[in-house]
Amino acid sequence: MLPKLSSSFFEKSEKYNPILISITLVLFCIGLYFSLIGSPPDMVQGDSMRIMYIHVPSAWLSLMIYTLLAFSCILWFIFRNPIFSLTGRSLAQIGATFTLLALVTGSIWGKPTWGTWWAWDARLTSMLILFFLYLAYILLWQSVSNKETAAKIAAALGIIGFINIPIIKFSVDWWNTLHQPATISKLSSPSIDISMLIPLVIMTIASIFFLLTLFLIRMRIHIIEQRINRTLGN
Amino acid sequence: MFRNLLIRDLKLAYYTSSNFIFIASFFLLIVILIPFIFGTNVNDLKLIFQGLIWIGITLALLLTLDRIFSSDFNDGNLDIILKSGLSYETIALAKLLSVWIINCFPIIIILPIASFIFDLNFYEIIRTELNLFLGSIGMTATAIGISSLTLGLKRMIYLKSIIILPLYIPFIIFGVDLDSWSIIFALSMIAVVISLFVTSYSLRLYGE
Repeated sequence: MLPKLSSSFFEKSEKYNPILISITLVLFCIGLYFSLIGSPPDMVQGDSMRIMYIHVPSAWLSLMIYTLLAFSCILWFIFRNPIFSLTGRSLAQIGATFTLLALVTGSIWGKPTWGTWWAWDARLTSMLILFFLYLAYILLWQSVSNKETAAKIAAALGIIGFINIPIIKFSVDWWNTLHQPATISKLSSPSIDISMLIPLVIMTIASIFFLLTLFLIRMRIHIIEQRINRTLGN
Repeated sequence: MFRNLLIRDLKLAYYTSSNFIFIASFFLLIVILIPFIFGTNVNDLKLIFQGLIWIGITLALLLTLDRIFSSDFNDGNLDIILKSGLSYETIALAKLLSVWIINCFPIIIILPIASFIFDLNFYEIIRTELNLFLGSIGMTATAIGISSLTLGLKRMIYLKSIIILPLYIPFIIFGVDLDSWSIIFALSMIAVVISLFVTSYSLRLYGE
């Protein structure tokens, strides 16, 4: 079932595992040093804004991963290669984790800044909906025992979700302008200083490497899982 | 053929548990529950009622989500329908119409009666009806698409609900606003087009 070429690539990827993990760790060390110690605190928010260096990269990545997920779904439709359903499945789990991380860090940031754990802000709400889109995709894979059927459904679902993300974003923005209590927008800073931008960029690159490491590990897990299932005969 | 398929679905619904009386009373009972929760202040209830209509129609569609294609799938009728020579898109369209007539039309008919209970004026009733008419088409189309996609999965109503509820959010957001019928119309048309495409894709997968 699994094509030789693609599965052998992911098997060989085990070699790169130590390299990727060490790059990720080094980048995180540098990034965390600059974000926690080496950069000045924010004028208005003080030290509490340092959580931004975790929050913003995970929010960016959660959106990027859904794009990659939809892309792998489209590739599945074109080539009908099972490896693309496995990439989608691996990406969804990581994407959901990053979305949850963005939501949790955002709410921890929100408590000292806005005085509340949760505000019905447009961005927060659409991130929450994005999390449920990820969750639907993952639950589909979990609950359907026949993985070939699951692949067919999941590919269509990924694309439907991707079409819907801009629509949901648009409607949530529109809804929010009607109901906005104007507490959040005034706190947004006009532009970011260079001393804060450098740690942010380093943290983003570190997160991308983290994503890559996790992705390759998850791919290997799914390939081994599929092989076990095939050996057991279901 | 299209007409036969449509009439067959409607007759089946009429003689089984999902005819007009059932859906209408289901909706009215959900509406009647609300004063017991929020008290009897009519001004509060008017606000809640607008949202409640959309909750009602969402629930009505969620309850049928497991049955739209499954009953035909289980008794083997779906094979015969697929082999009848109709294009898959036409079958999807017939299903869309029949599900809409069975599940959404009773709510639209019964809505003015429920509106009088909550003291909505004529303008509000007309606008709500228009929004509901346009939005329910798109919501039904989404339900058809998702239920055809998850055709082989039995007893997974929660999974199907989790898949479909995020897709209903735009309809509900614009639905409760009385002046945005044009956006709902656009949303519904997008939903119908995508749903016909998805349904024919999944029926083709099933037919293979």
